Amino acid sequence: MMEKIDIMKNMQSSNNVNMQSDTVSKCELGVVKDFSTQEKLEILADAAKYDVACTSSGSDRRGQKGMLGNASAAGICHSFAADGRCISLLKILMTNHCVYDCKYCINRASNDVPRATFTPEEICELTVEFYKRNYIEGLFLSSGVLKNPTYTMEKMCETLVLLRTKYHFNGYVHVKTIPGASDELLARVGYLADRMSINLELPTAESLSKLAPNKNFHTILEPMGKVRDTIAAHRMAIGKDRHMERASGNQYLGNSIFQSRQDMLSSNNHGYIDKGNAEIAKILGVGNQYLSTAHNYELAPRDLTNLKRSFAPAGQSTQMIIGATGETDYTLIQTTQQLYTGYDLKRVFYSAYIPLNEDAALPALGTAPPLLREHRLYQADWLLRFYGFRANELLSEKKPNFNELLDPKCDWALRHINQFPVDVQTAGYELLLRVPGIGPTSAKRIVQARRYGKLDFDALKKMGVVLKRAHYFILCGGRQMYKTPIEEQYITRQLIGVDHKQNWKVAHSSEGYNQMSLADFGIA
Amino acid sequence: MKIFTCKDRFEDMMTCIYVAWEEALKIGHENVHVQREPIFQESLFDQYIHVDADMDKVQKVVRSIKGQISYEAYSYVYYASLSIREDALQAIYNFLRVGFATGPAVCSMHANPHVMRIFDIKRKVANESHHFLEFARFNSLNNQVYVCHLEPRSDVIMLVGRHFEDRMPSEHWMIIDDNRKTACVHPKDGETYLRYLTSEEFEALRTTETYEDPYTDMWRGFFHAISIKERENRRCQRTLFPIWKRKHATEFMQ
Repeated sequence: MMEKIDIMKNMQSSNNVNMQSDTVSKCELGVVKDFSTQEKLEILADAAKYDVACTSSGSDRRGQKGMLGNASAAGICHSFAADGRCISLLKILMTNHCVYDCKYCINRASNDVPRATFTPEEICELTVEFYKRNYIEGLFLSSGVLKNPTYTMEKMCETLVLLRTKYHFNGYVHVKTIPGASDELLARVGYLADRMSINLELPTAESLSKLAPNKNFHTILEPMGKVRDTIAAHRMAIGKDRHMERASGNQYLGNSIFQSRQDMLSSNNHGYIDKGNAEIAKILGVGNQYLSTAHNYELAPRDLTNLKRSFAPAGQSTQMIIGATGETDYTLIQTTQQLYTGYDLKRVFYSAYIPLNEDAALPALGTAPPLLREHRLYQADWLLRFYGFRANELLSEKKPNFNELLDPKCDWALRHINQFPVDVQTAGYELLLRVPGIGPTSAKRIVQARRYGKLDFDALKKMGVVLKRAHYFILCGGRQMYKTPIEEQYITRQLIGVDHKQNWKVAHSSEGYNQMSLADFGIA
Repeated sequence: MKIFTCKDRFEDMMTCIYVAWEEALKIGHENVHVQREPIFQESLFDQYIHVDADMDKVQKVVRSIKGQISYEAYSYVYYASLSIREDALQAIYNFLRVGFATGPAVCSMHANPHVMRIFDIKRKVANESHHFLEFARFNSLNNQVYVCHLEPRSDVIMLVGRHFEDRMPSEHWMIIDDNRKTACVHPKDGETYLRYLTSEEFEALRTTETYEDPYTDMWRGFFHAISIKERENRRCQRTLFPIWKRKHATEFMQ
């Protein structure tokens, strides 16, 4: 493998030579063309589009005179692309040259694609000018591995320093950490960026070694742990709780995954392996030695009293590819839960695998991306973060995958039909949240409004309860909305009917179809 | 019935509510109605009374809402006053009737139809203002001034302007409402203010959207490059970015 990397390095340096001498606009393998900024932007945005995270939430920062930009806690989308995904940040790679050869990736070393590299000034100017025109909310900077991880990270760091100081940019910055970069660079980036993320790529160590031969879980989880601890140290230094903020409803949920964290990260003892890490280690299939919390403060300065900047105030996130390897939904959702509790991540993203490369270890080209599965996983992710569910309530060893026809919450409710119906006038917030069709907002409104009078179905509808799902499970003034039996089989049939069209749309959203006409049959 | 009418400005509306309320104390709340001008068709048996702004009365109304109900209730009223809905003023009036009777708890009474109505109106305005701070696009005039055109249904440009005041304090910029011919103007490091544009000013500013620079092209290029072909989903795009809101978005202009 080292040999291969060396060869790539040589290729790289010969490319650089070409770049200086050869301005002939011909793009062959090994010959690098001088691209204009516009062309570079298109190449590097195209290369970055498979990164899922495009959120600008989590940081709340006021603007300042003489600076450009602020950050809003809820995040702001600026546009929506043809695939319906939001465009919030200027999502680009610094370079799509890469010495790694991950099988699933479009930018792998063995692919013949146009390659380009931005200079730090180009990135800064693009960010600032786009920002002033309100096209974007900030910068999302990722990169292929140029020469080696540390060199790449150093370049990214240089860009961010320039952006924050010379260009006075005060907006949102999300940086992808390159696995294997040195700690000093990790620390520097943390003070410049709002959110740091490092891609887990695949949910188990086994699949990772199969599909990404140059990466391993050690180099991914170790920096994640270090960043978690450094964020915690900085939060405590300014008098906040060591854990990241979560949706406010969680404080009323006894069963929430965020309630039991208190004991999980409580020890700073060297060599201590906490419960969450031990579990995640088991699931991810790696040894415990990587996952100790021994490196607290390792990235932070000794004395935190004169801090000018916070360290990654919007926390960390990660992303996993689904559908490229054979993991079950149960494994994915367990991993997700452990990442939220053990590593205190703000978000875990899923990316339905789109076949880009031909390889025996991967699904064939032209396989449709598993969009419905991705949708179900995100639904489950929301149930973990906002609804007080736990992974083992949604799925189990015996039932390792989500139901295609029903969303995870309906599915749970039907398996626990003995807990229903509930009376909206008296049921607790926690139980209301478990009713299909009632979410955190409507549950909060119900709890507020019922203090001042009796609720009826009309009022519930106005409050935002989705009655087509909820009416099987709730009582208002001791009555159901219609006279329906509380029976698993019956409600299942009804709910599948309600969601059928929606599910079909999600699964087939990327297909185009046309009205049939007589001309299709040769009759004009 | 007595119908009190006023212009479509916050001060006029508050005065109108004050005057109508004063009358209602004599003839009953059921016999007064408040409405914003213009009124296209007057009914035959009602009496129409025009009310002009009076700052004393505005202050009294605002002070009582903040003091006797709550600041949150005041924000409901303010947002509703910006709405394009025809019944917005009457909704405010009805909400205040409930509000003055119950006090600060009124904002949690989601089962009350009057509270729900104003809540609905307020939410629509707040959502629209949030959408336009996402979808506003500035054009740069020689890197000196940034100008943005919007055509919102509700009168949200000052709300949008407040967001940019914090975001770009050290730039010259203005946001123009093409329908109402008003502009939210921000001079560099200065105070943001609202200006009613004269028709000459408006005509002069009208063509700013045709100013192209390399960044408008780069943005369009980026916009197309970032979407994944295998996941194309136009319906989802239309839901999240409705076509009527795309009118002044650079990426949809050719």
